[in-house]
Amino acid sequence: MATAEYDVPAGPPPTLADANRDISRPIETPPWRFWLLLGITAVFILIAGVAWAIQIRDGIGVAGINNPVGWGVYIVTFVFWVGIAHSGTLISAVLYLVRSGWRTTINRAAEAMTIFAVMTAGLFPLIHLGRVWYFYYLIPYPSGRLIWPNFRSPLVWDMFAIGTYFTISLVFWYLGLIPDLAGLRDKFTGLRKKIYGALALGWQGSVRDWAHYRRLYLYLAGIATPLVLSVHSVVSWDFAMGITPGWHSTIFAPYFVAGAIFSGIAMVITLLIPMRWAFGLEKYITKYHFDNMAKLLLLTSMIVGYAYAMEYFIAWWSQDPIEIESFRWRAEGFYAGPFWVMVFCNVVVPMSLFFRRIRNSLAALFVISIFVNIGMWYERFVIIVTSLAHEYEPGGWGIYVPSAVEIAIMVGSFAWFFFWFLLFTKTLPTISIAEVKEHLAHEQEHGH
Amino acid sequence: MNNGDTKRNGMDTSRRDFLKVLGVAGAGAATVSCGPPDVGDKLIPYLVPPEDIVPGTNVTYSTVLSEAGPEPLGVHAAVRDGRVIKLEGNPAFPNRGALSALAQSTLQDLYDPDRVPGPREKVDGDWTEATWEAAVQAAATAVGSGLTLLLTPPATGSAAAFYAEWAAAMGAEWVAWEPLGHEAMQAANEIAFGRPEVPAYDLAAADHVVSFGADFLATWLAPVELAGSYAEARDVDGREPAKLTFVGPRLSLTGTNADAWLPARSGSEASLALALAREVAERRGGGPAARVQSILAPFTADAVAEASGVPAERIRALGEEIAAARSPVALPPDVSGQGVYATEVHLAVAILNYVAGAIGTTVRFNDTPVLGDAASYADMRALATRMRAGEFRTVVTAGVNPAYALPAASGFAAALADVPNHISLSTRLDETASTANWLLPSSHELESWGDVELRPGTYGLRQPVMRPVFDVRQREDILLAMAAAIGRDMGVESYGEYLQAAWREAAGADFEAWWHAALSEGAVVTRPAAAAAEAAEAAPPLSAAAANYPFTLPEPPDDGTVLVLYPTAQFYDGRGANRRWMQELPDAVTKAVWSSWVEMHPSTAEPLGVENGDVVEVSTAAGTVRAPAFVYRGIRPDAIGIPLGQGHTEFGRTATGVGVNPLELLDGTADPRSGALAYSGAPVDLTAPGGRDRMPIMQGSDTDLDREIGELLRVDTALAMAQAHQVDLTELVEAAWDSDPNSPYRWGMSIDLNACNGCGACVTACYAENNVPTVGKDLCDQGREMSWMQIMRYYEETEDDGFQTVHVPVLCQQCGDAPCEPVCPVYATYHTPEGLNAQVYNRCVGTRYCANNCPYKVRRFNWYTYEDPYPLNLQLNPDVTVRQKGVMEKCTFCVQRINRAKLDAKAEGRPVEDGEVVTACMQTCPTQAIRFGNLKDPGSEVSRAAKGSRGYGLMAELNTRPAVTYLKAVTYAPVAEGGHGAGGADHGGEEH
Repeated sequence: MATAEYDVPAGPPPTLADANRDISRPIETPPWRFWLLLGITAVFILIAGVAWAIQIRDGIGVAGINNPVGWGVYIVTFVFWVGIAHSGTLISAVLYLVRSGWRTTINRAAEAMTIFAVMTAGLFPLIHLGRVWYFYYLIPYPSGRLIWPNFRSPLVWDMFAIGTYFTISLVFWYLGLIPDLAGLRDKFTGLRKKIYGALALGWQGSVRDWAHYRRLYLYLAGIATPLVLSVHSVVSWDFAMGITPGWHSTIFAPYFVAGAIFSGIAMVITLLIPMRWAFGLEKYITKYHFDNMAKLLLLTSMIVGYAYAMEYFIAWWSQDPIEIESFRWRAEGFYAGPFWVMVFCNVVVPMSLFFRRIRNSLAALFVISIFVNIGMWYERFVIIVTSLAHEYEPGGWGIYVPSAVEIAIMVGSFAWFFFWFLLFTKTLPTISIAEVKEHLAHEQEHGH
Repeated sequence: MNNGDTKRNGMDTSRRDFLKVLGVAGAGAATVSCGPPDVGDKLIPYLVPPEDIVPGTNVTYSTVLSEAGPEPLGVHAAVRDGRVIKLEGNPAFPNRGALSALAQSTLQDLYDPDRVPGPREKVDGDWTEATWEAAVQAAATAVGSGLTLLLTPPATGSAAAFYAEWAAAMGAEWVAWEPLGHEAMQAANEIAFGRPEVPAYDLAAADHVVSFGADFLATWLAPVELAGSYAEARDVDGREPAKLTFVGPRLSLTGTNADAWLPARSGSEASLALALAREVAERRGGGPAARVQSILAPFTADAVAEASGVPAERIRALGEEIAAARSPVALPPDVSGQGVYATEVHLAVAILNYVAGAIGTTVRFNDTPVLGDAASYADMRALATRMRAGEFRTVVTAGVNPAYALPAASGFAAALADVPNHISLSTRLDETASTANWLLPSSHELESWGDVELRPGTYGLRQPVMRPVFDVRQREDILLAMAAAIGRDMGVESYGEYLQAAWREAAGADFEAWWHAALSEGAVVTRPAAAAAEAAEAAPPLSAAAANYPFTLPEPPDDGTVLVLYPTAQFYDGRGANRRWMQELPDAVTKAVWSSWVEMHPSTAEPLGVENGDVVEVSTAAGTVRAPAFVYRGIRPDAIGIPLGQGHTEFGRTATGVGVNPLELLDGTADPRSGALAYSGAPVDLTAPGGRDRMPIMQGSDTDLDREIGELLRVDTALAMAQAHQVDLTELVEAAWDSDPNSPYRWGMSIDLNACNGCGACVTACYAENNVPTVGKDLCDQGREMSWMQIMRYYEETEDDGFQTVHVPVLCQQCGDAPCEPVCPVYATYHTPEGLNAQVYNRCVGTRYCANNCPYKVRRFNWYTYEDPYPLNLQLNPDVTVRQKGVMEKCTFCVQRINRAKLDAKAEGRPVEDGEVVTACMQTCPTQAIRFGNLKDPGSEVSRAAKGSRGYGLMAELNTRPAVTYLKAVTYAPVAEGGHGAGGADHGGEEH
């Protein structure tokens, strides 16, 4: 699918009609390959579901967590998916506000990824509960016991942060979809027409419609932008507010936000390259887009690498023997493997993006994005597990090894994410048709 | 009909329906939830309640246990609704209100689901149910058919007389035996003083205790009593504490508490004791020295140094210290130092005591503990020979397990199989009982009548504290029934009658009143001791035989490795192995659970290439065992240590298949003078066959990395600090936010690390009091133990390249500013007005954030729902919620006991007094290391401890404001003392 020279296929640039047809083509009749992929994800979701059912029946002991490592793969994967959810809003809202044109063809997929990643992440706080059947104790509802959640607990902040993020992201994404939904309404007949019609909220494409639409889109972009910073900051406080050495650090919020954007961009690349190939969107998602994403990846990689270095510097600067021991053990102890995997994947590998040839190779970019995805999962593993395993009381130190149930649920979370993403590609336009046409029209007018 | 009527009718109907549904559902729930039918499936209140039973209140019975450990222990049994739920020490007994971990776990023996539920007959190799009538008849017929051997544990008081009478009536022989007996000591004291006894050791009066391998804080002689009296001697407040020197190849629990260790080669203890005696005699002179001068002459420090592996200067230095001591005492070895020269070792130690002036002061021969007659190992071997020769027609075993506890080389188990009839009165199907023809299960001690002679003339009375759960009868009653079945009248109907008859004379005129008073007022009674005992001299003269005993200088050692077997606090002779509390109590030295292990020095392990948990194979001429290695600096390079008590083949579901029985390594050699089994000293071959064995070790790091968790002070420093330190009895150690300012209480605890010896009694008491579940080997291995209290064993380096051990009980510190509290999203953990970190189990959803944020790592999560099989669940404390899966739990300072004390105080219109709340851990502690009370009372014991010169808080620099104050341990060893200020860390960094 990819060579060093992968750019826009020869031929005239797409017309407005091409854009309509090309982008909405996958929505028409799914090929068998689609059903196969969907089936595979469904099977893994089912396996994870069974694993969760076993965990609820027998107790969370079927996971590998223990004393002292109370949080393991579930929270690692939770933070991973929250991180993935970041770049969607960044690309749609922040780049919209700063008028970065290269967001046009990738924002829809990135936003969808955000929605599905939050949907995936949101499962894990439930999965990791010892008594999930009392999950509603965390919700501030007017209970007969007159007990509210503890608003001092970062876990409660977390719930609100993620809930807000999910709501805004969903509205923002849906709003952007409205003109395209109207287009699909006009394209199809029968039941589909009715469904798309209902979702299009009576869009007529009038100037009045567009005026309202553009204004609301701008406002929502404005509301969503601070969330890019807030959500992962709050998630990072789950750790930074704890007194655990290795967690209790003021750099956690920016460190986590940078890491989230880093991993989110990587996931966008991982998703877009096969999607572009499978749906023949080469004309719309071009070198220009990938090059920009690669540069963003490089930038955030360097921020993350700086954060890693700063953690060690701060430990040394504090001269707190407990902090120093914690970080020494992180690099040399039982979990040295995950630590060095993290450093290699997140700091060493992305350095190759300094080279234009590598940025311009889709194969290389795809491989690097996979490395970053793996590295960022390990980053959360290293932060969470190594810190808990090696705390203040040396007699209480212990080792955690993930269990089969945890692995099954983690793999299932990827299946769950891809399941929704596959459904998205077959039911909604993966590129914003309206924005692409706007862009094309602009180019034709001004002979770009 | 008008609307109102309809409405009223409707309401009536629905309320009745509701109540009906509720009743049916309730009955259904009751039926479903009560597993065993005999507990009763109808919930009917007492119409006329029994006098003793007040709902929701414990009834306490005094009684005495003689099989709960090495010594007889007076207990208070707390009984709720007819079931005993907790044992606490009886302060009137020599154990002074304390109990060991093993004794605390007696309840798991009582409620053991593996107890024999009723009489059984072996038919074609299978046990089939039988009636008591048939069983007694069959047993009696067997006993009547020829010479019978009755084998029981050593008995004192009425039981001893009863067995002797029964044997006489039945024409039987009665032999009493216990595996870890004192035959070598008795033999040596017979030679030395003409008194075949175990003397009374007064450690409280000693200022230097030299233990030649005696694990007197855990397993030797009377560990609860001795630990208590040693703690008195060790007290550092206002005086110099006693010093403890440990001599022997391996540091036992007691050894880890010693100030100095002379790592003597196994088997060299006698010559070392004589060399020390020589040093002492030289310095002290006097009559005793002159008497033994000739036999001591060859034992110069230099002559003994090589054979013992202890440098001559250390021998001389110790000799000098003993000579200078005001009141020294030397303790002879336990079985870990019992080799083929066991009697010589004991004799040498007796001579050391003699020249050091200990006989008659710290070692007394009047008022000695009554142990009861016991057969030696050699006697048992002789019995085996007689059994093989067909001398016995029938063997009746009761309460003993020789098939497990004697090495196969003794031939006892094999000989037992040759006896035509084997009647077992065992409570359980152990290795011995499983070879019997008939099983007539005895009741447990807690279900029986009896008395125990503690000291000459002083007795403890035993009474049943509840009706048996199983269809069992008292051992003596079974014997009586057997006698009656073949027409041998013993003059009494029951043993209860026999017992009362024995006491009728002492009681005087009104027996009923006396008996009732004796039982209800603590169960200790006296009667004039026999004339001989009264006349006993405290310091009998040393015999001429001892003064001229032909001791020989040891030969230079060869290069081999020798075996050291030792009992542990949790299993003792193996009796604790089927109790989950004991399997899950971390060993004081290794911190391992559910395992056996081979202790070896790093320099022994290194050439083998083994680390902790790697399998090693230990072979002797007699056999081979495989167990995981435990690399330990506290053992000589030429010795390996293996614990006794594990490796059962038949004993119950918990014990069977766990660990190895190292008795398989013994070839059955005995000490020729006393007939004691040589448990130690056999040469072994070590190989590492590869592979690992699971050995869950419940402690992460062996040192505290100078994080000031286990703190040691030199004695001089401690005394100087105490001198310079002023405790202001009006000053509060509280900060306003530690508890509600309006609350009169903030509960606090102090733990004196100088008294704590790491025995683990508190841990087991906590399991019993707080329904703490056991989880088994797999989950322990995964780090999911549930113990609310964990004793950390931290090593501290000393300046002479040795190490010291500090045992630190770590439990919830009930922080004033607790990190666990703000992070809980649902307020399941919160701060009570009295400063406790309460845990609301019903509210907990299981995020485990609190445990992550706890710097002490004392929170325990229920990874599963843990349930013990019936009848173990009858032991559960109804005052404490049983937790389910997914819930966090932890220590809350026995909040149910605090509330009980508060209610009692409120009923009497007064505040709770200092010392009124007694937590389970504090109650059972043999050394009274734990104190509890109100930190808002500036004069309370805990407040004084918190303000004392040795007080500190764990990781107080985190400003968690722990409510537990630790008092630094003191040692004579040259430990490094850090630059940090001593004391006051717990209360605002006040420096002294």
